[in-house]
Amino acid sequence: MESAPPLLEMRSITKEFPGVKALSDVNLVVRAGEIHAICGENGAGKSTLMKVLSGVYPYGTYSGSIVYRGAETRFSDIRASEHAGIVIIHQELALVPGMSITENIFLGNEPRRFGRIDWKAANSKALELMRQVGLTEDPDTLIKDIGVGKQQLVEIAKAFAKDVRLLILDEPTAALNEADSQHLLDLLRGFKERGITSIMISHKLNEIEAIADSITILRDGRTIETLDVAAGGVDEDRIVRGMVGRSLSNRFPDHRPEIGDVFFEVRDWTVRHPISTERLVCKNSSFNVRRGEIVGFAGLMGAGRTELAMSLFGRSYGVWLGGRVFKDGKEIQIRSVAEAIANGLAYVSEDRKAIGLNLLDDIKTSVVAAKLSKVTRNGVLDEAKEYREAEQYRKSLRIKTPTVDEGVTKLSGGNQQKVVLAKWMFTDPDLLILDEPTRGIDVGAKYEIYGIIQRLADEGKGVIVISSELPELIGLCDRIYTVFEGTITGEISRQDANPEVLMKQMTSTKKTLTP
Amino acid sequence: MRKFYSSAMAVGTAALLALSMSACGSERDGDGDDAGSGKGFKKDALIGVALPSKTSENWVLAGGLFESGLKDAGFKFDVQYANASSPVADQQAQITAMTTKGAKVIVIGATDAAQLSTQVEAAKKSGAVVIAYDRLITGTKDLDYYVAFDNFKVGQLQGQALIDGMKAKKATGPWTVELFSGSPDDNNSGVFFNGAMDVLKPLIDKGDIVVGSGQKDIQQTATQGWKAENAQTRMDSLLTSTYNTGGKTLDGVLSPNDTLARAIIQSVKSAGKPIPVVTGQDSEVESVKSIMAGEQYSTINKDTRKLVAETINMVKALQGGNEPTVNDTKSYDNKAKVVPSFLLPPVIVTKANAAQAYADDPKLAPLTK
Amino acid sequence: MSRIKELQKNLFGGSTSNARQFGMIFTLIAVIVYFQVRTDGLTLTPTNLIALTQQGAYISILSIGMLMVIVAGHIDLSVGSVAAFTGIVVAKAITENDIPWPIGILIGLGVGALIGAFQGFWVAYIGVPAFIVTLAGMLLFRGGNQYIGNAETITVPKGFQKIGSGYLPDIGPETNYNNPTLLLGLLICVAVVIREFRARKVRQQMEGAEPTPLWVSLVRLGVLLAVILFATFRFAGGRVGTSFPISGIILAVLVVAYSFYTRNTAGGRHIYAVGGNARAAELSGVKLRRVNFFVMMNMSILASLAGMIFVARSAASGPQDGLNWELDAIAAVFIGGAAVSGGLGTISGAIVGGLVMAVLTNGLQLIGTGADKVQIIKGLFLLAAVAFDVYNKSQGRFSIVGSLMRPFRRDTPADPVALAEASREEEKAPAAG
Repeated sequence: MESAPPLLEMRSITKEFPGVKALSDVNLVVRAGEIHAICGENGAGKSTLMKVLSGVYPYGTYSGSIVYRGAETRFSDIRASEHAGIVIIHQELALVPGMSITENIFLGNEPRRFGRIDWKAANSKALELMRQVGLTEDPDTLIKDIGVGKQQLVEIAKAFAKDVRLLILDEPTAALNEADSQHLLDLLRGFKERGITSIMISHKLNEIEAIADSITILRDGRTIETLDVAAGGVDEDRIVRGMVGRSLSNRFPDHRPEIGDVFFEVRDWTVRHPISTERLVCKNSSFNVRRGEIVGFAGLMGAGRTELAMSLFGRSYGVWLGGRVFKDGKEIQIRSVAEAIANGLAYVSEDRKAIGLNLLDDIKTSVVAAKLSKVTRNGVLDEAKEYREAEQYRKSLRIKTPTVDEGVTKLSGGNQQKVVLAKWMFTDPDLLILDEPTRGIDVGAKYEIYGIIQRLADEGKGVIVISSELPELIGLCDRIYTVFEGTITGEISRQDANPEVLMKQMTSTKKTLTP
Repeated sequence: MRKFYSSAMAVGTAALLALSMSACGSERDGDGDDAGSGKGFKKDALIGVALPSKTSENWVLAGGLFESGLKDAGFKFDVQYANASSPVADQQAQITAMTTKGAKVIVIGATDAAQLSTQVEAAKKSGAVVIAYDRLITGTKDLDYYVAFDNFKVGQLQGQALIDGMKAKKATGPWTVELFSGSPDDNNSGVFFNGAMDVLKPLIDKGDIVVGSGQKDIQQTATQGWKAENAQTRMDSLLTSTYNTGGKTLDGVLSPNDTLARAIIQSVKSAGKPIPVVTGQDSEVESVKSIMAGEQYSTINKDTRKLVAETINMVKALQGGNEPTVNDTKSYDNKAKVVPSFLLPPVIVTKANAAQAYADDPKLAPLTK
Repeated sequence: MSRIKELQKNLFGGSTSNARQFGMIFTLIAVIVYFQVRTDGLTLTPTNLIALTQQGAYISILSIGMLMVIVAGHIDLSVGSVAAFTGIVVAKAITENDIPWPIGILIGLGVGALIGAFQGFWVAYIGVPAFIVTLAGMLLFRGGNQYIGNAETITVPKGFQKIGSGYLPDIGPETNYNNPTLLLGLLICVAVVIREFRARKVRQQMEGAEPTPLWVSLVRLGVLLAVILFATFRFAGGRVGTSFPISGIILAVLVVAYSFYTRNTAGGRHIYAVGGNARAAELSGVKLRRVNFFVMMNMSILASLAGMIFVARSAASGPQDGLNWELDAIAAVFIGGAAVSGGLGTISGAIVGGLVMAVLTNGLQLIGTGADKVQIIKGLFLLAAVAFDVYNKSQGRFSIVGSLMRPFRRDTPADPVALAEASREEEKAPAAG
């Protein structure tokens, strides 16, 4: 279809770390003006490849060659690659929270006049860049005061300030809600029309399918194939097959729920924001959970799902204003995390690294951390018991590690998540609240986590799953509540659940109940 | 199992080894008192000198003099200054180290006179003679000798100089004065101040001398850390509070040392007032210049050379098995015993006698010409 | 796995946080051997060992508390001032109010507890950073010391002096050694043997865990027993009237008790959890405030004890007591392997760190190095010790030995860069290695 020479060609790239061959003989061809997706399971080498391209790993630390715009290039550092118009936007945004949008856009690249920073020029240029990425904010607004979606746009504006020709986005929509994701994808299409080439790394196969012109699939540090979307025949299953080397016919394990009676009920739960006294993050929320049931909470980013969960879990978030909790028909008081645990609640947070785990701990210490009383006698730890308990979870959850003495940082995301699950299963909860339980986890591990969740339900526990991925909720949950701006706007049963219905409820205040 | 036996053997061997090594390390056999005074010791024995931290010129000078003096006398020596960050603990450790090394005489310029008794006792028990240099070590009967300038006398001389100076300017009282004392954490501060007050108090009681600000006790007059800036700040505020209005003139200032004296003069000068009679101590170069220029009134000459020489004489006497010379066996009670002392007299120096007083001092003599 | 690696793992529990200790023990041995040679054997004489113990006891007591404070993610700058303040209060109480000295000690601990509660309140319940609270405390209690003491030095009675400069008494038959010290050494030997075998038993109960090889246990036991016996005879063979110092016994009891607390109890776990990730700990049901309050209060109590021991050793409380002790204690903790950001570190590490510094200072003094140079060398040593470790971490080598062995090992685990990569990219990581 196009005969023009490719914009970028990476040939036989091999990158070794001591003991690990991260990339072996990888080839990547990116045509000018296309959106090129790179797919692969975690650890397939996607990020490493992009680091080679952007000069994070300088020339000489890898073998193979990079031909960019017809000439072989040897980047010595990121600056060199940026100079050539290659800009990478990392998963973790590189913005300074306490600085304004303008300051961030021009950080390290400030327009100068007579040696002084020309803020007037900077501001007007920032406005222009912001217009290009569809960001309407006062350029003096501080980064910490805008949402993640807008922050992402600032990152892209920052890239534009550097005259980008090839934009690399590493998981750009991982932290975005559906609307912001959609906006970003539209933006990429717009860039394409303006002749900017993009490389996008993503786990979200539906997005890739929707937007990519070509897809290169990596597995275990090797190029598996490059698919041309225009040629047809590319769908999610096709991509998954390439990624995992086999077909995952069903992304959810088979499950036959055995749902009992309502045992946990929350009535009129109202919580306000910890700082802003007028903002209510939960407004008169009422819901219930049955034994053996997996209940989903759908909502856009910032809808108040996490806030609801954490405020329930021993008032760990915000200021409680009202609402009652009943368990097995009796009202219970949950004023602290300790009380929550004692009442059989468990909360697996959405950010396992920031607040879910102590990354300095080893596996066994993490597993028993939330209920030390089970492995202590008169306050003294029984190390043998601790080890045995952890070892049991290692086996039953199939945590991939040689021993439970290993540090949790040595585990992959999926296995870390299993450790967090083990930690909360160890507390013998009746109700588990799982906040984004599969975020940042690859396809194979997700399947296992789903299996664990279903097993927990089968044991008669109630499970609440908060997720931003609608297919996940639809595939996993027996019942789904939708949340919009702190209010529960809908309750949808498994049979009625589909993305359109959920999305409608997630974006409107009108209450509809269809149980 | 083979491994077990070989390991067990290793354990046993190691234990036996430790046992045999330690057994010969016992120090219980000797009675430890073999080097008490009267018997003398080897000519090249180790002499330890532990001085306070290197914060004043005088201690640095003394250290150098000890090194050269002991070397000339043929002794091995170990001259140490306490570190400035935790001087007391460091000095304790240094004295203990000297004891361990078997020093025969340990000369101590104490950082804190009351906090060394444990170390002095240990030194004495292992056979060393302990001499307190410049500062008396209190609370131990194991201190053998004390060599010093008479600090109470220093205070008296300062008080007297203050009166003499004011009389010279204005024959009759009442004279208005301000008092300064040294750092509250230095025991000598009190000794100087009490010595001066010994002379001044009768006149204050009579009303011949008036303390302008009324600040007369040692807490009020203290200069934290002997720091010039603190004295200057205090003088600034005194001038503002007491001498700005009302026509009071400041006739004299009691200053415990030269550094503070110059800070006080500086303060008066910047306030545009006439310079009062200011006392001092230590014969610092800048102050001798100031005296010759007619600004500072007096200083005290405590010749470190003489004090060190006298101490080394004591060491030599001890080496030969003789009793060292002392000139005071009554005055210095350290709360455990009266310590035989050798006291050197301090000399008051004003413009009038400066040339004579510093005649032997190569550094100061030219300044007085 | 090589023998040395195995030994290292088994000797120190295998976790990376303990690896620096392993390195530090080698450093300690090297420093001791060096000075033993340089001083013609003076370093390990009974007199010197006894002196070292007495000189190091109070700083080591501080570093126990400091370790816990630093592990919890705080710092305490006030310990020296608190020690000095307690010292003067106790000295005044005993000498001027005729309070019996044992009661004086209780008063001192009470003062420490009150000060600790005061500082802990601000840190734990109001949320003022410990750095600020204790900086204020440093000024407050230093001033308090001068206010109460009028900058005088106050002598304490003989009985009180025992806790700082006393020894185990000479009793029993004439053996040419101090009998109580011998007995103490024997008891420690027995305790060590029992502990080793209990540890083996516990390990065996951990199904799935590889048991400690017998030879490792025996080697470890042999080394420990040899060291204990050696020390016992040295301390017992000191000059008549001296033996194992009472301050050393106080320190030893505290080390054992606090090591047990931090390693083997839920309360100890909580301190590490709070320091490692306060929010995660809170969401696991740890009572954050209580832990913070406890570590700050505990620190001040230990500081007051250290202050009293120093006063006892110095026979008097003076205005310069406790000057810059916080720095010595903090240095010991960091040399001993604690992380600046909290969550990592052990009591034994802090003690070893303190020992290295103490032996270094002592050795330099024995060879007659001036205080100026001693300070320079100590400063450089502190920097080098921590920098070496930081560098090693950034290179992914977790210990000195590990780095020495590295070129010869084929089974190198995944490189840290790759690991960092892994955690970023969420790889199925080290399985690849």
